[in-house]
Formats: sequence, structure tokens, C-alpha cells
Amino acid sequence: MEYYLDIWGEMCPIPIIKSQRKLKVMAIGDSLVLETEHSCTARGLVVWAQKEGYPISESEVAAGIWRLTIAKTHD
Amino acid sequence: MKKIWRTAVHGPWPYWVGAMVLGGLNILVLLVRKRPWGVTSNLQDWAVWLAHLLGLASERIPVSQLLLAEGTYLNLGVVLGALWAALAASQWRFRPLRQRKFGFSALIGGLFLGYGARIAYGCNVGGLLNGIASSSLTGWVFALAVFLGTWIGAKILLKFLV
Amino acid sequence: MSPMVKNQRYWNWAFMSVMFFFFLLLAQINWKLALNLGLGIGLGFALEKSRFCFVAAFRDPILTGMTALSQAVILLLGVSILGFALVAGSGQGYALNVYPLGANTIVGGLLFGIGMVLAGGCASGILMRIGEGFAMQMLALAGALVGVFFGERSLRWWQGWGWEQPGIFLPAKLGWLSTLSLEMAVLVALWLLARWWQNR
Repeated sequence: MEYYLDIWGEMCPIPIIKSQRKLKVMAIGDSLVLETEHSCTARGLVVWAQKEGYPISESEVAAGIWRLTIAKTHD
Repeated sequence: MKKIWRTAVHGPWPYWVGAMVLGGLNILVLLVRKRPWGVTSNLQDWAVWLAHLLGLASERIPVSQLLLAEGTYLNLGVVLGALWAALAASQWRFRPLRQRKFGFSALIGGLFLGYGARIAYGCNVGGLLNGIASSSLTGWVFALAVFLGTWIGAKILLKFLV
Repeated sequence: MSPMVKNQRYWNWAFMSVMFFFFLLLAQINWKLALNLGLGIGLGFALEKSRFCFVAAFRDPILTGMTALSQAVILLLGVSILGFALVAGSGQGYALNVYPLGANTIVGGLLFGIGMVLAGGCASGILMRIGEGFAMQMLALAGALVGVFFGERSLRWWQGWGWEQPGIFLPAKLGWLSTLSLEMAVLVALWLLARWWQNR
């Protein structure tokens, strides 16, 4: 399953807190898609996911908008 | 080499690279200015000037003095430098306020931040970073107080903004 | 590698040209102001490119358990302490930031800490995010200007709460060598604590 989490316009660290909560209720193998226009939020999410050991892919879908996909590989 | 250049222009830099560059520039500011980098003391002069314009303060700071103040150009430079950094990576956009609650939190937060910075003689840059860098005990005490304040702020954020 | 968007290339060239002429103009008036502008631009550029954030350094250990930025701030502190000691110790006429210590330091720090979490940036962070185009931080700057004004008005009252009037310059009390070793020891301890906190 692919989940989309609405973090549009939210400042740090609310997206990470929301992702932590969302990932808890997701099953292993699911992925979480997030979109943000905050450069720091995109960076913070990448660093956080790497530390937690979740594979994360980052792409710039438009000028100053980042789309992040986190795969839940473990609990 | 090409990859390094691409990361330098496009970013993001690793945090430790940012820390080293900022540290080097911070020392250069001290060398040029003969006093450390600070943000809010210049903002204070502009605030008093603005207040006089609105008839709220009796003392007058001439605008020519503000336009010849080094702090004005440091602050303006930070804004322009960030704008340039975003443009260079094609990441600039106007980011409007998406939810009203963040408008309130920005106004109230700014008010607290400005008041606190001025009664404690400095913000994160002038009071904390350069207070500590100047080996002043005040800088360390301020850092501890800021940490406790952040903890209270985090509780407020969890309650009202998440 | 993420795909790259490149559609602001011409805006970037236009901006750089305007900046170049502004810099030249300012250098005609006063080269020192131009130098300050250049340093400010460098600081803003580095802040944005490295996504540096003092707020996150203090807040994220509490809220998300991340200390990557706290470790970076500790590194920045270490570099700055050594650099300042070298510059101020070898030259004359440097005015360092040694300010009075008192209840105002504590209360101011608490209010500042609360404020920067709510505003989504400290003073330099607000300026940096205005450059990035955030409307939220433009509002925060408006709030900060009002707060700064009230702070300036009440500074005289707060001075009655001071404990140490000129402030304590540690090297004057302990000597340079013990001050620097003490500060470095504290920073290393904090860094180890931060690393442990993130890997907990």
C-alpha cells in the first residue's frame, strides 16, 4: 500500500512527528509519500529516515518542492 | 570535482560542512568588524526608528545612520544570500501561509523571541554562539536558558500546532 | 541523485548582476559596508545551503530524538571559540560579546527559546527563511520588531535584576589555557551526549 501524508505548509518538526506516528500504524512493505516546500523539512526527513534505517528517495518535482518516499522495511 | 561543484551550488551541504563554513565566516566578521556577528541589535535600531516614525518613541535615530551601520548590511546580506542560494539551485518560490494557526504562532513567537533577545543582550548568534565564542559566562548561562525555553516551546507546539 | 530542476537559471544570472552592481556601488560609498554585505551574503548562503538551523539543534533532541544539527552547532561553537581566542588574543581593539549576567539572561533565554520554536526560526533563521520566500517568517519578523522594541524599552528595568554588571570574561578569571581546555571538555562531553542520545 502507498500512503500519502499531508504536511503541506507545515513547519519543522511537525512533518517528522506525523511521519513517526503514521509509520507506526503502517504495515511492513508499505510506503509513505510526502510533499513539502520547506527545504529544511525535506533535509530533516532524509537525515531522520537514514538514521532509522528506512530507505528514502527524494526528488524535486518543481522549483522548491520536494517529494519524499519512505519505505517501511522494519518496525 | 564536477560533483563537488554541483553539490556546492545545488546543495544540500552536509551539516558539518555548513558548520565549518559558518565558523570561518563568523571569525572573518570579527576580523572585519572588530566585534562579533549579531542580528538583533541592528533590528532594535530599525524598530526604534520605525516606532519614531509611527509616533511611539521620542528619540530619533537618523536613517542615514542606519544605512551606514555595518549590522544593516550583515542582516540584509543574510536575506540576499539565502535568496541567492535558493535561486542558484532553482529552489526559490514564494511560500505563502497555508494555515492560519502558523500566522498566529509566527507573530507570538516573533514577539517573545524579540523581547527575550533584547533583555538578554543577544539572539542565538550574538548572545549564544558569539557569547560562548567570546568565553563569556553569560553565553553559557543563556544557552542553558534557551534550551529550557525550547523545551517549553516544544510542549506548546505539541499541544497547539501538531 | 535526484533529478534537477533548472528553470530559474536566468533569474539567477539577473540577480547576480544586480548584486554585483549593488556591491560596487556600496564599495564606492564605503568599502567596509560592502565587505559586511559580502560576509552577510556568505553567511546567508551557507545557512540556506546546509539547512543550518539553531532552533532544530535545540528542539529536535526533545521532539524527534535527532541530534545531527546539535552536533553541527557544537562543532561551530568549537571552531568559533578557538578562532575568537586566536583573533582577540593576538590583536588589539576587539570588542567581544561579554555582557551582564543576571535574571534577565535567564528570563530572556526562556522567552527567546519559546519564541523561536513558535516562530519557526531564531533571528538569523527568520532572515534566512525570508530570503527563501516564506511568508510565515515575514510575519515573524514583524512580531520580532515589536518584541525588540518592547525589550529595548524595558532593558533599564531589567538592569536592576543584574547579578554581574560588566559580565564575567572567563579568561580573566581562569586564564586562557584553563578556559579553553574547560570549554573544549564541555563541548566534547556535550557532543558525546548528543551522539548517544541519537543512537539510543
